[in-house]
Amino acid sequence: MDSTLLSSTLKKSFGKSLLYTLPMFLITFMFMTGGRPNFSDTASLAATLIAFLLVNVLYFLMHYTGKTDRYRVVLFIIFALTLSFSLIKNMVAVRSSMSFSQADILECKIPFCHLVIPMMILPAAFTKSIIFPGSILNGFANISSMIVLWLVATLVLGRGFCSWGCFYGGWDDGFSRMRKKPLIRNINEIWRWMPFAVLIMVALTAALAMMPTYCAWICPFKAVTEFEQVTSVESAAKAGIFLSLFIGLVVVLPVMTKRRTQCSFLCPLGAVNSLSNKITPFTVKIDKEACTECFKCVEVCPIFALTKDDIKDGKVSMLCSKCGKCVDVCSKNAIHYSIKGLPSGTMKNFSRNLFLFVSFLFMSVFSAGAIITTLQSLLKLIF
Amino acid sequence: MTDSFILGLSSGSACLVTCGMVMFPYLMAGSAGVKRIVIDLSLFLFTRFVVYFILATLSWYFGQALFSNPVVRNIVPGILYIVFAVMLVWYSISNSRNPKCPAEIVKTVNNKRLVPIFLGVVNSLGFCPALFIILTKGATQGTLLQSYIVFLAFFIGSTLWFLPLPLAGKIQKKEVLKTIGILATGLAGIIFMIKGITNLIGGIING
Repeated sequence: MDSTLLSSTLKKSFGKSLLYTLPMFLITFMFMTGGRPNFSDTASLAATLIAFLLVNVLYFLMHYTGKTDRYRVVLFIIFALTLSFSLIKNMVAVRSSMSFSQADILECKIPFCHLVIPMMILPAAFTKSIIFPGSILNGFANISSMIVLWLVATLVLGRGFCSWGCFYGGWDDGFSRMRKKPLIRNINEIWRWMPFAVLIMVALTAALAMMPTYCAWICPFKAVTEFEQVTSVESAAKAGIFLSLFIGLVVVLPVMTKRRTQCSFLCPLGAVNSLSNKITPFTVKIDKEACTECFKCVEVCPIFALTKDDIKDGKVSMLCSKCGKCVDVCSKNAIHYSIKGLPSGTMKNFSRNLFLFVSFLFMSVFSAGAIITTLQSLLKLIF
Repeated sequence: MTDSFILGLSSGSACLVTCGMVMFPYLMAGSAGVKRIVIDLSLFLFTRFVVYFILATLSWYFGQALFSNPVVRNIVPGILYIVFAVMLVWYSISNSRNPKCPAEIVKTVNNKRLVPIFLGVVNSLGFCPALFIILTKGATQGTLLQSYIVFLAFFIGSTLWFLPLPLAGKIQKKEVLKTIGILATGLAGIIFMIKGITNLIGGIING
């Protein structure tokens, strides 16, 4: 790839990159240590230091090399792995198992996850009921804190949440990078609208059954978090469905297509986030004058947000998760981060810097707890 | 009559969700204007009315026997669900990927004018708890006319929820929404299929 132009526009000098990293350095330090590092516990101190260095080195490299996705994905995958680890660790500590019982449901002890949000809207509006058996204010991953976090993120980042804030996305993003070339190339464009169909169906069925049907029957990520105890034919069928979907959509298909197939074809929250892309200030634009229509961006887009027609029209679809993969691969810097209201092709560096600061800060702060907890456990295990 | 109407009204939102699950995607998937949608919705509601009329008659004649026999209760609706679900999924696939359908019966389903009727039958046969109550009520009425009145009141109460559906046609012109509607119709078919298989297995185990 000819990276001369890309380098000249997005790459920064060592000193300038350090300067850009300084605010991130200070804010992440405050969030990770609370302003007071704990020197008494060596494992805790080491874990915090490693996590702190990790996020800041990655952010520095984003500025220094001009590459976005290459370093985003490192933290994104680590986030997914460590979140699953810390969640399972917590579940095992509380229940001695990854599975939850009917008693846990009745006592509202199930940790909340953002994927439930689309199913809660109709029942909450019509019956003033929260259909998820979790704690509203107290405990690990309570409903109110998760909703507020997601709401803030989606209003600022839009579907960028799916590439910068979702603690599941790293799984299929990781598997989608395992092969150099895809085995399956031609996938009909209509399937990229599937999450909207899933959204309609799960929202309606959840309102009908007054239960989060997606979580109960479909969610593939139960395989790496928690799941219902298998005590009947129905619970066995549910386990079969979520395991099949995890293997199919999160492992096998991403490897074969080099795309994030779970995010592209199933996730109903991705559909909601796509809608919020319409109001978020950050966007990705195509500079028609610079674009040579090589379609490399279409080939690498992990969630089918770009088609050849989109490129010819000079528009990026509402499905864009702002991961930066297309930006990295574009040798002419024709596709770039932008801010709504700015003409395409202008203020590329400013827009990128601003977006990176907001999105990476969110991911760093959001992932810090899981990374530190996991590192602590690993260090204690090793030493 | 009043309590049947109230039951219809109170369970109507659930009916809208159940039936809307199929009807709304279908309306979105269509390409006609509001007039066509009003006609389709009228056909859909008329079919429900006719099915309820038949159910009222059957419930009055067969009464409790219909509910006490698990084979009839589970296996027959299970088979119907599976058949209709396969047709729904096929309708979805044939519209988006394979317009030439080899099976004659699916050609009938693909006839746009018959789809609302087909959907009306599918949704009227969705044995929700509210309908079971009405069936029981119809079965215990003194005369056939009283059974009809019970079902009519239930039908009117639940129908009120469907009247705003033609507005869905206002946003149907976009190709993307059409695609989403087709995909959602296919998903509805899968849900009915799972429900049908569950009913069948339950029927076989209990039968």
